[in-house]
Amino acid sequence: MPVTLLVLIPLLPLIGFLINGIGFRHIPKGAVGLIGSLAALGSFAASVAVLLAFKEGGSQPMIVSLFDWIKVGELNIPFSFQVDQLSLLMLMIITGVGSLIHIYSIGYMKHDPGFGKFFSFLNLFLFFMLLLVLGSNYVIMFIGWEGVGLCSYLLIGFWNKNTDFNNAARKAFIMNRIGDLGFLLGIFTIIHAFGSVEYTEVFRQATGLPVGDHVVFAITMLLFVGAMGKSAQIPLYTWLPDAMAGPTPVSALIHAATMVTAGIYMVIRSNVLYTLAPETLEIVAVVGAVTAIFAASIGLLQNDIKKVLAYSTVSQLGYMFLGLGVMAYSASMFHVITHAFFKALLFLGAGSVIHAMSDEQDIRFMGGLRKKLPITFITFAVATWAIAGLPPFAGFFSKDEILAHAFEHNKLLWGIGVLGSALTSFYMFRLLFLTFFGSFRGTHEQEHHLHESPAAMTIPLVILALLSAVGGFIGVPEALGGTHQLAEFMSPLFDTARQVNPEAFAATALTHSEEWILMAVSVAVALIAAVIAYVMYISRSAVPAPESEARTGVENVVYHKYYIDELYDTVFVKPMKSLSGVLSSFGEFVIDLFVEGTGKLVKGLSNLGRQTQTGSIGYYVFAMVVGIVVILFWNLLLN
Amino acid sequence: MYPIILLSFLGIVVLFLGFAKSKAILLPATLLFLAVALVGNFVEWNQGTIIYFYNMLAVNNLTLAFNGIVLVSAFMIVAMTRGFQDDDEAQPAEYYAIMLFSLVGAFMMIGFENLIMLFLGLEILSVAMYVLTGSDKRNLRSNEAALKYFLMGAFATGILLFGIALLYGATGSFTLTGIQAYIGQGNPSYLLYGGLLLVLIGMLFKVSAAPFHFWTPDVYEGAPTIFTAFMATIVKTAGFAALFRLLSHSFTGIYDYWWITLAVITVLTLLVGNIIAVYQDSFKRMLAYSSISHAGYLLIALTAMTPQTENSILFYSMAYSVATICAFGVLIPLAREKAMTGKPRETYEAFNGLARNNPLLAFVLTVSMLSLAGIPLTAGFWGKFFVFGSAAERGIIWLLVVAILMSAVGIYYYFRVIMAAYMKEGDTAEIRVAPFYKIVLVTATIITLLFGIAPGLFTGLV
Amino acid sequence: MQEPSIPDIIQLIPLKSYLILSTALFVIGILGVLIRRNAIVIFMSVELMLNSVNLLLIAFSSYKSDPSAQVFVFFIMAVAAAEVAVGLAIIVMIYRNTRTIDIGFLNKLKG
Repeated sequence: MPVTLLVLIPLLPLIGFLINGIGFRHIPKGAVGLIGSLAALGSFAASVAVLLAFKEGGSQPMIVSLFDWIKVGELNIPFSFQVDQLSLLMLMIITGVGSLIHIYSIGYMKHDPGFGKFFSFLNLFLFFMLLLVLGSNYVIMFIGWEGVGLCSYLLIGFWNKNTDFNNAARKAFIMNRIGDLGFLLGIFTIIHAFGSVEYTEVFRQATGLPVGDHVVFAITMLLFVGAMGKSAQIPLYTWLPDAMAGPTPVSALIHAATMVTAGIYMVIRSNVLYTLAPETLEIVAVVGAVTAIFAASIGLLQNDIKKVLAYSTVSQLGYMFLGLGVMAYSASMFHVITHAFFKALLFLGAGSVIHAMSDEQDIRFMGGLRKKLPITFITFAVATWAIAGLPPFAGFFSKDEILAHAFEHNKLLWGIGVLGSALTSFYMFRLLFLTFFGSFRGTHEQEHHLHESPAAMTIPLVILALLSAVGGFIGVPEALGGTHQLAEFMSPLFDTARQVNPEAFAATALTHSEEWILMAVSVAVALIAAVIAYVMYISRSAVPAPESEARTGVENVVYHKYYIDELYDTVFVKPMKSLSGVLSSFGEFVIDLFVEGTGKLVKGLSNLGRQTQTGSIGYYVFAMVVGIVVILFWNLLLN
Repeated sequence: MYPIILLSFLGIVVLFLGFAKSKAILLPATLLFLAVALVGNFVEWNQGTIIYFYNMLAVNNLTLAFNGIVLVSAFMIVAMTRGFQDDDEAQPAEYYAIMLFSLVGAFMMIGFENLIMLFLGLEILSVAMYVLTGSDKRNLRSNEAALKYFLMGAFATGILLFGIALLYGATGSFTLTGIQAYIGQGNPSYLLYGGLLLVLIGMLFKVSAAPFHFWTPDVYEGAPTIFTAFMATIVKTAGFAALFRLLSHSFTGIYDYWWITLAVITVLTLLVGNIIAVYQDSFKRMLAYSSISHAGYLLIALTAMTPQTENSILFYSMAYSVATICAFGVLIPLAREKAMTGKPRETYEAFNGLARNNPLLAFVLTVSMLSLAGIPLTAGFWGKFFVFGSAAERGIIWLLVVAILMSAVGIYYYFRVIMAAYMKEGDTAEIRVAPFYKIVLVTATIITLLFGIAPGLFTGLV
Repeated sequence: MQEPSIPDIIQLIPLKSYLILSTALFVIGILGVLIRRNAIVIFMSVELMLNSVNLLLIAFSSYKSDPSAQVFVFFIMAVAAAEVAVGLAIIVMIYRNTRTIDIGFLNKLKG
């Protein structure tokens, strides 16, 4: 395999970052966008070339050692890249979707004064993300992990000048730090247990351990805490909806398609360890399922177009963890891929809408946009169809595979998953209908301004729509007469895990007819939810109540129409609303309270500690003497 | 060995240069002398362990590397002292000479083989620092800081000496090998334990570990910033080198006895440093607490005392010193230019709008803060990684948990400065920095990034 | 009759007594630092601490018939003299600026 090609993959974005980062004051805007996008595209091209070379070379995983990095005593950490099925798939997603989003950003950010800064951060993000997935040991992964986190804060706070460490960035920051704490401790426990951080070495040693080993349990749990932070799982998820304060392409790239799936990547990468720790997997599955339904229920009644998508992302990540928990590793990866397509598409579509609406994000003031933004509408509809899990688009295949595995593992988890997919279908169609159907509810100026986005923005939309439509065919289940190419491709990754815990990998026990029934159930449920959404928001044109009292005439009418329909209100809307309300207040509020509380506690302690510094020498000497006496007393008399 | 002799002599030369009419020659001369000492230091590189003066001093690659860190730090700090000559009252020759002499003390601490050398080195360094702290004679804050430092420092010296006397009483020797041999015989007496604890306390005071840290914030704040930088880097590096030497050469035999005490002090230091730093408004004072917290991280490596400890401490001292010099280096011109009411502005607000005003300083500041916070791709990350790794190797997981939690708290106050520099609007009075000053800052930044990307370059040296 | 040598005289008193005496002096020094507010008196208390160390070292030296501790004592005395010079200079400087050497008034730096 050409090593230079491999090195180019992360290097190109880094070069792009340096050029744009150093010279953004001097380089004209056109060139900035071009450099940034070319860096991403070049990286994509190199990734494709590496993938082809990999397939040609017989799909043998290989470790490309670049240089000796650190050698401290026993611990030897080389700087090397691992090329195998998993890193290649991630490379394709990151560089592929990343390139599209770069191109999209040229159009979207055109009028922004921080254009150059934006592109340099985006390139830097790509660099760290590529490092994360390419590294052959946990330390490189951690460096990428921290790096993407850093870029994420920078970009969340991109539009927030003059606020003191603004709330959203701070929350993202604290929650991710909790996750990083887990990850770091996990790494050090790995060093303690195995004396190495290289994946191959760690897994080789792990094969000698029995299933259910305590140390492995500790390691996997700690790593999972890291994954919870980065991939926004309960209870560390509230930062992701807040992170929507950043520009929309950032939400698409970082907070939907790539960075937030790092946690899933990490678990799949460590599949040997997780397979050895069934208890951890159980916890992963439960956390994933609960997050899936919890976030979906909050998404039901959000009115901010990006917030809906954010909760949807949290929920979909929950599905991925559910898949990991029931050991459907390749199914989870499948969902990572399809989700990257349709969720990036949804965010970019939302960006296109926001662009057209002059930065309005509230869906209550949208409506009827399908005539003015036809391309955005069609692509958005494709993505909605895909995420709702309706055939034959991508989401159907990947979600169904996860649900089938969940069914085998635990019927309750499956039930939660199906319910969640009903909710998903409902809120996504609600979003679609409120945004694109009905009549326009915004101001006249906005209506006048409505326009389809430029080609730089619509072309990525179309490409992603195509991918969302056909992306699922890389993993058609046997029950539908297809071959699961993805699962076959990824199969060698799990050889070691299969060896250590063969029972866990037993072939599927479901018959084809059972699988058909499962598929039918989830499709039916999703369809019913879509129909309910249709009835509610198109037939009855219900619009969620605005928060303020002052309404324009049109809104008033709509509002009352919604209001008089009392029967319908009490039967369907109120329970749902209260459920969503309770969940969001109880969950989110408590979690945020905890996070804020931690901050306050530290500050309080700080103030308290500060007061010990009285400025008086006598007091200082006294404290010292007390210290000395305690130390001497403790050591000499008590020991 | 050579730098001790060279700097003792050259310090006197600097004093005589003070008689010259033009003070302009002092700075280049001092820098030249430091460079000479740096070259002299590495003459003995890779020659194994050499013992000098009848078992008084030892020289090996580790001590030379510590000397190197101290010398390079001193070089950078001295290079930043251009403002000296502007003040009519100041006697720059004296200050330069005292700095050179204090380095001699640092070298003696780093390479001591006999406790007499430890004591002498410590005193040479400390007495010099008392003088430098009070060098802003008219400034009450500087006066107060000097007196606090002096009284408490002398008190701590007394404790250290009593400990040394007890150690001597137990072992009949002042040498590290003698003490080690005594412990090797087994059944050490109470005098030894008491002596060890008191010596430890005396040293922990110098490196500002809690609960002996109280002098640090006040002294750091009151001292002229340039000497604060000197204290924060050189005194700390020398103090840890000496502590490491003492514990690793003599007391590994009774590790089980002292590690718990040290671990508790470590946790306390980490908590005090990181948590109190959160509430600070003054950047300079925050750096003082930050230096306490870094003492805590370094103590982790000492507590673990694995074969990697020496490398961890060396790397950490380097990363910390370089980043700290950058931080103070940015503060000095800023506080000077923004001084409105005579009192230098050292609060976070002074950094508002720095990125627009002077992008270079903002960048240097950012890298140094990231390094102090331990973010990857800076040297500070690897420092923490090695230190935490040694704790993991020893299996002291609870200490590790506290340390990682506290490093998360640390990010909060380090990022506050970065936010102020990039996100806030400030006055647009231009901040001018001499080209030479810029070179120093940029070099330090490059070192931080270089060893952040390729730490193997440094760890492979020793 | 031959005069007894000085080490012999020193050894007339048991080592333990020296230890107790110098510890007592040391603690008195510490208490002085703790209680007094006058910078010079505090300083004198520190000197007392140093001298108790000297006493202890001499006693040990004599009992172990090893002169190295006596050398150490000379160093301590020399260093203490240097410290006195610097310390008094600092105290004088403060007196010039504030007209007091009461450490209770020096608490501008805190927090």
